[in-house]
Amino acid sequence: MINSANGMMSTAAAASSSSASGNAQSPGLKTYFKTPEGRYKLHYEKTHPSGFLHYTHGKTVTQVTLAHLKDKPSPSTPPASSSTFGASTGVRSAAARFLISSNGSRALSFVGGNGGSKSVNASKVGSLGVSSSTSVSSTSNFDGKGTYLIFNVGDAIFISDLNSQDKDPIKSIHFNNSNPICHAFDQDAKDGHDLIIGLSSGDVYSVSLRQQLQDVGKKLVGAQHYNKDGSVNNRQGGVLDCLLLLVPLAKQHDITMIFAAIFVLVGHNSSEGRCTSVAWVPGGDGAFVVSHTDGNLYVYEKASYHVSKDGAGDSSFPVIKDQTQFSVSHARYSKSNPVARWHICQGSINSIAFSTDGTYLATVGRDGYLRVFDYSREQLVCGGKSYYGALLCCAWSVDGKYILTGGEDDLVQVWSMEERRVVARGEGHNSWVSGVAFDSYWSSPNSGGTENVTYRFGSVGQDTQLLLWELEVEEIAVPVRRLPGGSPTYSAGSQSSHWDSVCPIGTLQPAPSMRDIPKLSPLVAHRVHTEPLSGLIFTQESVLTVCREGHIKIWIRPGVADNQSNNAETVLSTSLKEKPSLSSKVGNSSYKQ
Amino acid sequence: MDFVELDPFESEKDLFFVFGDAAGALYFCVPFREQLLEYYSNNKNIGDVEENLLTCLADLFSQISSQKKKTGVIAPKRFVQRLKKQNELFRSYMHQDAHEFLNFLLNELVDILEKEAQAAKSDQESSSPSENVANGPKSAQANGSTQKEPLVTWVHKNFQGILTNETKCLRCETVTARDETFFDLSLDIEQNSSITSCLKNFSSTETLNAEDKFFCDKCCSLQEAQKRMKIKKPPHILVIHLKRFKYIEQLGRYKKLSYRVVFPLELKLSNTVEDADSEYSLFAVVVHVGSGPNHGHYVSLVKSHNHWLFFDDENVEMIDESAVQTFFGSAQEYSSNTDHGYILFYESLGTSNKS
Repeated sequence: MINSANGMMSTAAAASSSSASGNAQSPGLKTYFKTPEGRYKLHYEKTHPSGFLHYTHGKTVTQVTLAHLKDKPSPSTPPASSSTFGASTGVRSAAARFLISSNGSRALSFVGGNGGSKSVNASKVGSLGVSSSTSVSSTSNFDGKGTYLIFNVGDAIFISDLNSQDKDPIKSIHFNNSNPICHAFDQDAKDGHDLIIGLSSGDVYSVSLRQQLQDVGKKLVGAQHYNKDGSVNNRQGGVLDCLLLLVPLAKQHDITMIFAAIFVLVGHNSSEGRCTSVAWVPGGDGAFVVSHTDGNLYVYEKASYHVSKDGAGDSSFPVIKDQTQFSVSHARYSKSNPVARWHICQGSINSIAFSTDGTYLATVGRDGYLRVFDYSREQLVCGGKSYYGALLCCAWSVDGKYILTGGEDDLVQVWSMEERRVVARGEGHNSWVSGVAFDSYWSSPNSGGTENVTYRFGSVGQDTQLLLWELEVEEIAVPVRRLPGGSPTYSAGSQSSHWDSVCPIGTLQPAPSMRDIPKLSPLVAHRVHTEPLSGLIFTQESVLTVCREGHIKIWIRPGVADNQSNNAETVLSTSLKEKPSLSSKVGNSSYKQ
Repeated sequence: MDFVELDPFESEKDLFFVFGDAAGALYFCVPFREQLLEYYSNNKNIGDVEENLLTCLADLFSQISSQKKKTGVIAPKRFVQRLKKQNELFRSYMHQDAHEFLNFLLNELVDILEKEAQAAKSDQESSSPSENVANGPKSAQANGSTQKEPLVTWVHKNFQGILTNETKCLRCETVTARDETFFDLSLDIEQNSSITSCLKNFSSTETLNAEDKFFCDKCCSLQEAQKRMKIKKPPHILVIHLKRFKYIEQLGRYKKLSYRVVFPLELKLSNTVEDADSEYSLFAVVVHVGSGPNHGHYVSLVKSHNHWLFFDDENVEMIDESAVQTFFGSAQEYSSNTDHGYILFYESLGTSNKS
């Protein structure tokens, strides 16, 4: 063996080996990236307090929600024409989730027979009823106006001021027994509760963001509590299967093989009920939906407050007969919450997104399928499968014509609502795609006269990269952006016949082969973090990227930063306030009113 | 890989873990198990078959599968003794490499089956059971590099794939294709990447130049060339070995790479010669636990009856499918997490093993 290297050499070796594989620490990361329209510069970084030890590290993945708090609300907030920032841009990327919590990995117990341990959680759906809808009266010297980032890390929710240089959050909210997983904000929420938070226990809270900011404590205040202890999910957990497993075991010292025949109780355990994604129903009058790892999605209506504590407010739903089939059940009592359960698929629903006008709801999940539902009719419209593996995230274009998905096949897929099929696949990530979003603020530079529409979108992946893409769509024609080398060759039949062969309503399509779908290559690929990423948001001034461990970077768009190196704060706040002048190219008629 | 022995007390154990994990994964590989058991049932009546690794393993699997008791203990003593007898590597007090073990085992089984088949042929003994399973169609190998006539055993049918190594001389542009068979793919890994990406890199075009030129038969000289590996025939059971133990020249030793390499529960191969598009499903993962190459521990994850089981010594737990994700590796170099997926077993969901 070669004599051992000294310390200097070993560090050099480590450095060289790691840089080759892209493992450099932050110094290796550039603070800008170039695009055809100019440089995006790193403007601010936000993170959790450095001393914050999240013991649960790795179990939860940070997601971020952008929240714009308007001026102090008058008792009835006028329905402004602006939209929610987060909800429609599909930011709630559902990165792959770590579910190794103690309730996720259950030790096998040797149970003879079909041991009747049906544990039905008997706790009532939370009539915690601290509900305080018009909450602002108490400490009213703080109106909370501004734009905030809400993000979860470990057992806490942090809130940062987007427009301050401060890296640290201005507020933290800790949860006792469970971790927050997902959140959504609706700036037009009418009764003050504008923020919903879904937890790993399956619990859901709705609160007023302003009220949280006004409170000095570290607990959630004035919260409405739904699905307490996951009681609604667990209620269906009665199905016990008996399975005989023959288990060869390696034993340590005497080299023996242990044989265990084990009856395994198969039922819903609590890890299956955890929340994965929450979304306000656009124009839904305070209704929201929550998706879970057990393949269920629950619909909550804010209007139906829990009427009493005697259980009348509990919803109960029948046992799902066929886990593989889509089914919707409504609560028996009109005043209970949740009002409906949609059983969507076997396995987890990883992410959900409403089309901007609220007509359609898209879901993606463990089974690799994108499903698009007509929300009010509660019907499956269309859907299709990933190339392989689970889908992790989805997002709508503002005009509702396209849906992006990203998943474990490292691909970004573009789904056309008109054609009801995958129309392009983006290849460029070196790992799973954990966040996708259309950039609705971007407008094509050469938008003059042609019939082509170009969509700009972005994706982030567990390869720590942010990728930007463009999809050029000729009106009517098949959207193809042919690239040198890998251009797809349509067989004579498929192109001409694709209009006729639009699949019938309500069917799911299998994954097309790679060569049948046009390939896209990224316009820009930039390594933005050292950790795998979990999401991105486009705003008018910037692109936000967030990594699984809870670090957020704000990349200011070219032009915005150039003039305002020091004083960008004012620009940010004002223009964000005036809000989405929607990109001119996509008709905004369908935009939420 | 000659791992230096560190802890003599660990070694016996490790040998076992090697066995428990790689062979355990084999046990749960249904076609492999079925064919081995078939072999066993065909063979057991012939009393005088000389003991070898194959008979030991078949015996062991048979004991397992014919077990009527709900719980119990079976000592695989014969198998382990045989293993130690047969290969020096597994005899000493060294930390064993699961990948090496698997390789050794599969190759050994093939050797035994081939010998039996040849013996059967020369004896014209129609009763030889091995012939029934071993006389499949001749391998599609284009090259006759092996001296022996290639024989397709059921080990081949399950695990063997064919790689084609295409080399294009940059001077005369002649493409030379050379096929080679494999039982597993050893992939170089990168930080924060996926198996999909590692497979892509495995098949990416490499330029041979400078010191590493290619001898072109047509030009009759060393030339610059482009080389790439593609999968000509995907195996029924795809075994992927992540090269987590890397020799770092500057250090003069092996180092364990704790990189985060994500592996999906379903996979398709894109680096095939033909557009195969057949889907694989993950059914077992051998996990190396530990921060270095010289010590550590193996545990394994196995999917059985649609449930994931976690094997660690005599502890078996049922785990949630999503818990598989905790064995991807660490996104940062220094991490307390040392449990890393090392060998992945995927089974083809497509048409059952033909060839």
